[in-house]
Amino acid sequence: MKSLRLIALAFFVAGCGPKTGGDRTVIYNCAASTSGIAALQREQEGFFALTGIRVKLNPFSGEEKLYAMMAAGQAPDVFYTNGAVRDRLAAEGRLLDLRPFAEQDPFFQRLRTEVRAAAAAPDGGIYGVGNWTHTCGVYYNRAAFAAAGLAPPTADWTWDDFVAVARKLTRVGQAGDRPGRYGLFIPAHFIECFEQMNHAPIPRDALLLGISPEAREVYAAYLGLIRDGVMPDIRHVQALGMQAAQMLESGRVAMLVEAVPHPGLIETLTINWGVAPLPRFGAKAPRYFRSASGGLSVSATTAHPADAWRTLAWLIGEAAPYQPNPVLTDADFVGGWEAKYPRLRGTGFREVWTLSERHAGGDPRYFVRFASWSMGPVMTRFQPWLDRLWAGDATLDEVVAAVSDINAGVRQDLERQLRSPALRPAWRAALERELAAAK
Amino acid sequence: MSAPAAARLTRIGTLYAVLAALGAMFSVPVVWMLSSSLHELAAVFAQPYRWLPVPLHWENYVRAVTILPVPRFLLNTVIITAPVMLATVVSSALVAYGFARFRFPGRDALFALCLVTMMLPGQVTMIPLYMLFSRLGWVDTYLPLIVPSLFGSPFYIFLLRQFFLTIPRDSEEAALIDGASRLRIWWSIMLPQARPAVATVLIFTFIGTWNDFFGPLLYLNSPEKATLTLGLNLMKTQVLGSGVVEWNVLMAASLLVLAPNVILFFLAQRHFIRGLSMGAGK
Amino acid sequence: MKAETRQGWLFVAPWVIGFVLLTAGPMIYSLYLSFTASTLLSPPQWIGLENYRRLAADPLFYRSLGNTAYYAVLGVPLGLLLALGLALLLNAPVRGIGFFRTLFFLPSVTNAVALSLLWLWLLNPEFGLLNSALRACGVAGPLWLQSEAWAKPALILMSLWTAGGQAVIFLAALQGVPRELIEAAAIDGAGVVRRFFAVTLPMISPALLFNLIMGLVGALQVFTQAFVMTGGVQPGSEGGPNQSTLFIVLYVYKKAFQEFEMGYASALAWALFVLIVGCTALAWRVSRDRVHYEGGAA
Repeated sequence: MKSLRLIALAFFVAGCGPKTGGDRTVIYNCAASTSGIAALQREQEGFFALTGIRVKLNPFSGEEKLYAMMAAGQAPDVFYTNGAVRDRLAAEGRLLDLRPFAEQDPFFQRLRTEVRAAAAAPDGGIYGVGNWTHTCGVYYNRAAFAAAGLAPPTADWTWDDFVAVARKLTRVGQAGDRPGRYGLFIPAHFIECFEQMNHAPIPRDALLLGISPEAREVYAAYLGLIRDGVMPDIRHVQALGMQAAQMLESGRVAMLVEAVPHPGLIETLTINWGVAPLPRFGAKAPRYFRSASGGLSVSATTAHPADAWRTLAWLIGEAAPYQPNPVLTDADFVGGWEAKYPRLRGTGFREVWTLSERHAGGDPRYFVRFASWSMGPVMTRFQPWLDRLWAGDATLDEVVAAVSDINAGVRQDLERQLRSPALRPAWRAALERELAAAK
Repeated sequence: MSAPAAARLTRIGTLYAVLAALGAMFSVPVVWMLSSSLHELAAVFAQPYRWLPVPLHWENYVRAVTILPVPRFLLNTVIITAPVMLATVVSSALVAYGFARFRFPGRDALFALCLVTMMLPGQVTMIPLYMLFSRLGWVDTYLPLIVPSLFGSPFYIFLLRQFFLTIPRDSEEAALIDGASRLRIWWSIMLPQARPAVATVLIFTFIGTWNDFFGPLLYLNSPEKATLTLGLNLMKTQVLGSGVVEWNVLMAASLLVLAPNVILFFLAQRHFIRGLSMGAGK
Repeated sequence: MKAETRQGWLFVAPWVIGFVLLTAGPMIYSLYLSFTASTLLSPPQWIGLENYRRLAADPLFYRSLGNTAYYAVLGVPLGLLLALGLALLLNAPVRGIGFFRTLFFLPSVTNAVALSLLWLWLLNPEFGLLNSALRACGVAGPLWLQSEAWAKPALILMSLWTAGGQAVIFLAALQGVPRELIEAAAIDGAGVVRRFFAVTLPMISPALLFNLIMGLVGALQVFTQAFVMTGGVQPGSEGGPNQSTLFIVLYVYKKAFQEFEMGYASALAWALFVLIVGCTALAWRVSRDRVHYEGGAA
């Protein structure tokens, strides 16, 4: 066994060779289309002329490739990390703490609050900067509204209005008892928007799963929509793949809850559409929010930390293919996008975005509901219950009753993670503190 | 017409009918790709689907070859595929011959080991292997994609061994008595007799290498070194600020990349013919 | 027989060298990792049998084991039967057979992205070709990939579509069946079925063994289809409705690359490895006296 460990160790050491690179080249692992690469390559000439930094694009990215490169000691300098992965990599010392740069660079102050909040790690460091943010809205088919004699929704509409409108828009016909057109569709991962609007407490970076009475109301209302036939069975829609937008386009649904901005929707919809803010829950004050969950990070092994930071800031804040970027407070995002996509004018896009800016300064919790440590453990246990709920094999009461069992399992997983020698002390302390506090 | 002739005609007619019906089922993917490659984008996902694209959007193909730098990527793909095909066939056939026709101590254990290497999921050996190639300085070169083929592939070694074992030993033994070397027997007796199997290996290695996505993804970094399959994948990469995948153009490009596979198969399948006299019916 | 030993080793040398240089190291390293707590990004820590103890008590391991067994037990024999049937059909010496052979092989060369898109559409419960056809027969089709009961059969159905690959191997083997043998059997009065079982099947049994073993190895490592077809928007949703398509290798992938537990993932992979080796050994043993090698046993 000893010799086995020696061979293995030799293998590991062999992979951790030093990184060479004398010139000021920054390697950027970016997911990009062929046209995107061409555009960025043109752009980086100007950046090079200005700063002397060469940005080398590596468009063949993917998580396995990133980990392989890291394991071999050849991590790219700048790369994308999603919220769940970033903490894990940072806790093992794989990401550069960007705080010293962020504190001095006015660029960081140009970022929206939720982006800066999402960047703050439990040990006080900054290991990534968000490169995208969005809010949510209700996309709707204007022609369907007009045909039903309905006025377009306004910002003060409520959930009851929303459902009443959906009922009027539902057209029964075709294929037996199934309606030819459903009033609305809310993809399951957007239920959280309505939980927020119903004031369900969703603590950021929660370690454990919680279903509050407010959240439960939303789930019950959601199931009611399917039961009443105004929303298609979500399993049917999931079976269509990623084509929720096509349901709106083809007239199968009259309203769709989706992200705002959503470039794919904006570019593909050919119908006359509008977008409205999320409906309120009775007299409860609205809680519009924006969410930022992924961004760019810098490798801890980079040969040029300052250049890598400069590149990161340039990519998010200046590189033309990514502008105007919604993460920046000082960019005229709506104006820029209306110039880029003239169809946006008069759709309600400006109103939805402006409302999200006016409320609570943005709340980054959506999509990053669970801490990166427990995201996997929670969803692995919770998702099967949701699947059973949608299939009618479990009731809402049973799902709520299962929460304590789910959390017991999650706790076990977290305790195992705490024992991992890879965890840096500052992170272990933070995690222990949170776990002790979590009930 | 005599009764047996009529019966034969009926039999052949039935055979064609069955072939056509089943063939239609198996060609659905390509027919669908062809159809959607000639549609406008919105029609690709229309429900119910319209099989006939009217009007025909040939410009999707023009766009496909504009987006994808075809000559460059094609050359890269050929640079990888050609040596891999040749090396895999030669090395696998040599090793298979060794396992099929020589008796030596440890042979069965060695053969078992060869098979066993296929039974560990690649997900857990991928990173150590990457570390190895990275240490050799081979990342962002074609070497990690080509060099392993020099050592034979267990899948083809096993396949060819099975076929070599079905070949009677008479002509081989006669050649040995005439003083032919083992290598010569391998080349001029074994390979020709195993022609359908060798054709199979050629088809499979071509398809495997030409369409390989994960290997090039892992080991190539520079955009100008990309293969066609990797390039196809770039076309469906969604980027911030422009999130639209042009599925119709992607299908057009996919069909162009697919075409050499089909042509090669059509040419190679002619070797699936009995060496002996052929009757008209079965 | 010294010379035969030397020559034998020379012929198999390419593989032996490749094994030592490229294959053995990563395999041993992953075996080592299965005894450690490792994320692959930090030096691994030896924890002995802990991962294997954990695995023995992990309900998801058993769930994925059950799913994998279901897929293999149903998928492998169906695939073999279909491939053999196709090969016999495509071996008919009639005009234009090359065209038909190519048709049947098409799904095996089609780009995976295009295939998965196509399947999503074919299996679409409302508009899909499959359920439309079922509806025409008066049967209400299932939700396929979105149904706990039907997701695995749907994936098996998908795999059958690529039976052309195995059929090519059978087709190659059929070329080695001497025509005189079949004709002699026909003269002896043997019918089509008898001729098949008495002459053809024994003659192609080496190819059958190959397809059986490689089919088994492939089915027990099924990954790509499940990953592409039943992945969802949220983490945790890969593996289909209620984890009905969580196969072992998919579970390995999730542990290794989504939850950073390379040590545990390696233990899962090695447990699967032992299972596959066991199944293969069994298949080999059972078939040993039934496989006919014209050139005499190796």
